[in-house]
Parts: sequence; structure tokens; C-alpha cells
Amino acid sequence: MTRFSRWILAAGLFPAFLALPAPPLAGALDPGRYVVLENGLRVFLYEKRDLPLVHVVTGFDLGSKNETGETNGFVHLLEHAILFRGSGDRAGLRRHGAYFNGSTGQDLAVFEISLPSAHAGFALRSQKDILFGFDLDPRELEAEKEVVLEELGEMEDDPDRAAADRVLREIFAGHPYGRSVYGDRGVIAAATAEGLLAFHRRFFTADNAAMAVVGDFETGEMERLVREVFGDLPRAGHAAAALPMAVPLGKDSVVRLEKDVTEGTLYLAFPAPDYNHPDGYAMRVLVEALGRGINPLLSARLRSERDTVQRVSMSYLEFRYGGAAVVAVKAVPSDLAAVERTALSVLKRAGSENYSKKDFLDPVAEMAAFDFLESAKNQIRFSSGQAEESGLQLAGSFVRHMLLNTREKPGRYLDEIGRIGSGDLRRTAARYFGRADHVVVTVAPRRGGPK
Amino acid sequence: MSLRTGRRAALLFLGLGLGLRAAAGAVPPERTVLASGIPLVFQRDAASAVTVVALVAPGGRAAVPRGQDGLATLTTRLSLEIPDEEKVRDLMAQATRTSFVCAEDFSAVVVECLSENLEAALKVTGRIVTSPLLSGLRVARAKELLSLYAREEADDPASAAHAAVLAGFFGGVGVGSALYGTEESLKAVDRKDVQAFYRSRFVRSSVFFVAVSDLDPGTVRGLLEKSFSGFPAAAPAALAAAAPEPPADRDIRLNRDTERAFIGRAFPLPAPSVRDHALGALLETAIGRGPGSRLWRLRAEERLAYTVDSRLTWTRGGGVLEVFLETSADKAGRAEEALDGVLERLRTDGLPAGELEAAKAMAAAGHLRAVEGKAARVRLLAGFEVLGLGFGHVAGLEGALDAVSGEAVDAYIKSVLAPERAIRIVVGPAGPAERK
Repeated sequence: MTRFSRWILAAGLFPAFLALPAPPLAGALDPGRYVVLENGLRVFLYEKRDLPLVHVVTGFDLGSKNETGETNGFVHLLEHAILFRGSGDRAGLRRHGAYFNGSTGQDLAVFEISLPSAHAGFALRSQKDILFGFDLDPRELEAEKEVVLEELGEMEDDPDRAAADRVLREIFAGHPYGRSVYGDRGVIAAATAEGLLAFHRRFFTADNAAMAVVGDFETGEMERLVREVFGDLPRAGHAAAALPMAVPLGKDSVVRLEKDVTEGTLYLAFPAPDYNHPDGYAMRVLVEALGRGINPLLSARLRSERDTVQRVSMSYLEFRYGGAAVVAVKAVPSDLAAVERTALSVLKRAGSENYSKKDFLDPVAEMAAFDFLESAKNQIRFSSGQAEESGLQLAGSFVRHMLLNTREKPGRYLDEIGRIGSGDLRRTAARYFGRADHVVVTVAPRRGGPK
Repeated sequence: MSLRTGRRAALLFLGLGLGLRAAAGAVPPERTVLASGIPLVFQRDAASAVTVVALVAPGGRAAVPRGQDGLATLTTRLSLEIPDEEKVRDLMAQATRTSFVCAEDFSAVVVECLSENLEAALKVTGRIVTSPLLSGLRVARAKELLSLYAREEADDPASAAHAAVLAGFFGGVGVGSALYGTEESLKAVDRKDVQAFYRSRFVRSSVFFVAVSDLDPGTVRGLLEKSFSGFPAAAPAALAAAAPEPPADRDIRLNRDTERAFIGRAFPLPAPSVRDHALGALLETAIGRGPGSRLWRLRAEERLAYTVDSRLTWTRGGGVLEVFLETSADKAGRAEEALDGVLERLRTDGLPAGELEAAKAMAAAGHLRAVEGKAARVRLLAGFEVLGLGFGHVAGLEGALDAVSGEAVDAYIKSVLAPERAIRIVVGPAGPAERK
């Protein structure tokens, strides 16, 4: 761990999650246990007994999607206030060796705590106090606003975070996802404690939440503890508001930013399937084949044509009401325009690529070809294996799935991935990358030197 | 759980079931010696069907001669260059990842793969690493890559500050040399230098393996013996261990045209014995790790920053502790004063018992989380071996933290946080004097 900083799903963690190998995942039937408390709180318990740790992640169906122009930044500010200014035994967290953190995303607000398993009871009680017993002193809010504004300043100075935030705002323009999850400076500055508390009362209810507990415990005992701690929360009768699906722009959008940097940064975004869309599995494999793992197709093509390219990465962001496929490139600034053209050209042609050896009729060509499909599927298996090692990552994935999944029978993740064929990749590429509604954001060194 | 919820659980998680196995738990790591004489530190861990293997060559940046900055990184990078495209493709298709690390005191080639593909992965990498193709063309290409990495490092204030601090404490040599080289050093380094560095470090008597896998130790040992038998049996390379020393000019300013300023202080620490390593970890935690740390009040109460943090770097000759915050440029002066005030109070008053106990709990739990993933654990096992702490320190750190007394930590703080030994660093907009 290099820095303690809160992380923001999608925007805040963008450079990090581009590097993360794991696709969205969640765990297993055995030895996990899913229960729904009388008050509506959804809970998943999963034993991971290799280390004496317990990880508790609680998510709420609340994100920047639930904000308006007048409240843009409330969820982010609320998350800060809950984590650092609200109620609960703060000194106890440190005394028990607890790591606790939170994140705000387009769809969800997520809070996590991880500590030695001997203190599992403390972890649950702490989550309950901090999240559901929240109160806020207006003076504390004023102090935290300054911290949030500092965070915005850091984001704006960082070429990756600034580009990631901008590219998502552009690709979802006109939809609630088009608001920055960091929030609007003016809204944050004007926010009041009453306003935030009203937001909290509305959304931080047991029946708008899901919790996963992963770690070194016995499932039956943990279920008893969870019921004991959270069972007395009331059922609020929360009704989640259904939002419209994000609609593609219908036209390209280009944003050029300048900062005091030496490297060039390029972000490209395309509309992509939402979390529950049947195309999601194919998109995961496609993104893996094109832009992740070892020397994927996009990276190979870009590097073969432009030797100024340093780094290429691609991510697929699946939200409840839409999605985005995002490419991030680091390159020599003077060559950014050419790199942009080449990358777009490769992606536009992705609908006619041969991804599998079986695509070749000629046996010699088949022998010589690289099987991007097989490689992508293996990358996903590998990433899934790696994700199994991290308790917090597992718990976060369980929560995300409990809150976002609307499919009755979605099928087993790796089985679904295994069924994807080369034709599925071409169809998906043509459907999502072969259209004229992508977004380009570049960050280049300031012309004429420092301002 | 009712039948209804049980059935719903089955439907819900059927969707993303990955077929996780019940974690059988990791067994303690063991050190054995392969038939080739190369040591292997191995830990069996059934948490995932993934294997991580590192070939560790002690030396790293500490072994880089003056004026040849970047040589260790360049050499390690080239030792992974696979000339046979077909073999590269095989590894890619199996999702096998090869990467390299160039740390302060060691270089490592790391292989991460699905365990079912370990044999193929080691067969290819073994052949390459034991006999890399260090051609002039490849050296030139690798130099270009290093230049790009250097630019990325320069764009990140925390990375740029870290590099400048190490350069300051180690006089720009060895650990203090530029990780990715400088324009001049990369021009100066040629193929022969790379070959000589490789031949001095990647020898049977120096290198060792670290592996964490769900496979049984015999299988992994057998595959390593089969694949890495080609290292020459030259004399072991000497290991440098320079201690960090405060430079004559302890004020470093890196001007950037940004809205924000990075403000840091860095202190040299004694060489890492088991006890001193634990003391360093406690100090790092107490100062800058998370809410409740000493720096946290600069964020929570003084409203000076979003990022406040501390960072510890260990070398065989000593450690370096960096404490820093990032703030708006207009708050930079106030932030510097506040940061110095926090450090001075800690040095004067020491760490109260409650804070020490909390730091122990935080450091121990943080360490557990840090070793949860196999790749991170392999790096720690390798690092502890090279530092002389031994791989057993991964399990022993908690006990070492526990053994630290209040008196010991206060004496340590007083000694290491001496302001006259600190480097003061600022990365951000030029102050009025510089603007003139």
C-alpha cells in the first residue's frame, strides 16, 4: 500500500483499475451462504480461511446516478463525511488494526472494513454504527468540504484521472452517469448538513443495501452474529428509482486538454453493454483480446505502427444502465494525433478480425495465427484465480453483484465466458466499435511552456 | 436460512460462480536447495490455481556503477526478451505473464501463470533467462522504453520526489542512481556493459528462486531444476550496502506548473535488523498510515490536504522514511510549517502507549493484507531474504512488532527524526524567488 486515499469507482481509480486484471466476479455456491434479513438487508457470507482476517463490505444502491445538477457531489461528500466525520468508535478502528475505506461510483456507494478475524464482531458493529447511525455536525462538514475540494484539485492535476473523469462525462452526456462522481465544486461548497442528512436518510437503509463478509470464520456463527448486529435495523420500504438506459451520443466527441506533463495521454471511449446485457460476456472477452493481458491485439497493432507508444490498456465498465469500453494510451506527445488515428482505425476494424485459429481455412495460416480468443479466455481464468486471493476484492465483487444483477439465471461466469466464440467477438466489436459515437480525450504538454 | 432464500442464493450466485475451492490455507514457506545448488524458498498455498515464481538476482540498483544509471533495469528487462515469436505466442495464449522488478538491492524475473501451465511457462522463460539475446538492437530498443518510463516517473510528483530523495541520500550512486537512467547514462551504456552486468549477477552462486503455488513442492522443484540448469557457476557477486547519508544540500525543489504542491520530508534510517525493521514499520504507521495517524490531523483538522501519507524504503545499508502531503499551491507555506510541527512534536513527546499499541495492530494487520496475494508475497519473501532478514520474517514480523517497547520506539523516533538529517522536498509551482 503506498497511499491511504479513498478510491472512487470508475473515475477515481481509473489508472489503477486499468491495471487490475480481474473482470467483475463474485464467488461460489459452496462454501458461501446468501441470506436476506427481515429488514431487507442482503447478506453473503463466504469463508476464506487462509489468513486470520475478516473483510466486510457494505454497498448501497446509491451513486452519482441518483444525483441531480443541484446535488452533484452529494454522494461523494456524504461518503467522505460518513468515513471521516460521522459517528462510531473511530479510535477503536485503529486500535483493532482496521483498514476502512469507501468508494463512490456511478451506481453504488461502497464501504469496506478489514481487520484480524478475532475482531469480527467489532467490524460488524462498527459498520452498523458508521453507516446506519450517521449524524453530522455542520462544522465537521465544512472541514470535510475542503478535503474533498483538495481531492478535486489532485484529480485535475493528474492526467489519467482527469482524462478518465472527462471521457466518462462525455460518453454518458445527457444521462445521470454523465455527471462527475467527484462532484461539482459549487454544489460541494454550498452543501449543508441537513441536505446531506436528508440524502442519507433516504438511501442508507437496510433494504437499499447489500453486505458481504469474507474471511476466517465459521459460516453459521457469522450468520448468527450478522443477524444479532443488523437484525434490529428497520425496513424502510425503500423503492429504488428506475433510470432510463444510457443512449449513445450519436456523434463523436473530442476534448483536448493541456497540462504541465511530459508524456502524452489518450483516452478513447465507446458505448458498451450494461451489467445485465447478454453482450456483456462477449465484451469482456473482446476487451481482453484487444487491450488487456500480454500483448493484446490493439497494443500489438499500435506498437507495430507507432513506436512512440509506451502503454496501452483497455477496460470495460459495466453499469446498471449502460456501459463503456475505454482505451488508455501513453505515448510521446508529438505523436498523439497519429496514435489516436491508428487506435481508432484498429478498433473500427475489430468487427472483421480473425480472433481464433479456427477462423482460418488455410491450415498453414491457421498454424501461424495467434489465437487471441483462447488467450483472452485464459486471461480471464487467470485474473479470476488472482482475485480469489484477495478477501476485500471478493467481498466487493459479491456486493456489486447483489446490487446490480437483475438476471434470474445469469449462468456461471466462467462457463459463459467459455462459450464465447470468435463470431461473438466480431459481432460485438461491429455493434459497439463500428459506430460514430466515440469519445476522444487527450492530455498533452501545455503549448508555450508553463502558463 | 429459509428454503426460499436458499434457492435464491443458488440462482444469484450461479451467475458468477467461479468454482472457488474451500481455501485449504497456506503452509509456512520452506527453503530447500535445488540440484543445481540454487536455493528455493517455496510456499504452498491453495487459495488459487495460480503459481508465481521469481528468479531473484541480488544486486539491483545498488550494484549499478557510477555513471551507468539504468543499467540494472536495462539488463533485467533484456533478460526477459524472448526472441522466439512462437514461444511468446504460446505463453500469451496460456495467459502466462512475465515481468521484471528492479528493486534497490535485487532484480527479479517474475512468472505468473495458471498452475496447469507452469511447465510450459518455465520451459520458455528458463531458456531465455539463462541465455538472453543481448544484441545491440535490443539494447537500443530497451533504452527507448526506459526513457518513456522515466518521463512517466517525472510526471508523478510522489514518484519524482521519491527518486530525488534516494538520489540525495545515496549521492546519486547505486540505490541513488536513476532507476530508468538519465539521457547521459543511457547514451554511455552499451551492449558490453549489459553483458558484463548480466554475467556478474545472474550466476548460480548468487541467484535464488521464490515460488508460491497450489502445486506440491516436489513438482515445482522438479520443473525449476529442469528449466533453469544453465546458469554458469561463477563466483558470487559482491553486494553493496551503502548507508543513506544526508547530502550537503538538503533542500530539493522540483518546479512544476501545477495547481498543487507536493511537500515532503525524508529521513535516513539504520540498516534493517529484525528489530529495526519493526521499528521502522511502526514509525511509518504511526506517522502517516490512515485515519488517526499523526499526519491525518493535517487533513482532518487543518484541512490542508487530501493525500497525507508515509513511505518506507529499505536497502541493505539502511532505510529511508518519507512523509508527505499534497496541497493547493496557496497553502504550501502553511503546509510545510504544519508538517514540520507534527514531526517535531512526535520527536519531542514520543509515542504514547495507546498510540503505539494501535500502530502495532495496524502494522500487523496491514502486513497480513499485504501478503494475501501470491505475487506481493513473493516479492516480500524475496526482499526479506536479500535484506538479510530471512523469508521467515514474513511470518515473524508480527512478533517483532509486538516485542517493541515504548522506550525503544521513543528512542528510535528521537534518533531518526532529527531535522538536521532530513531532506526537505517540494514538487510544485515555483515560489516567488524561483519565479524571478
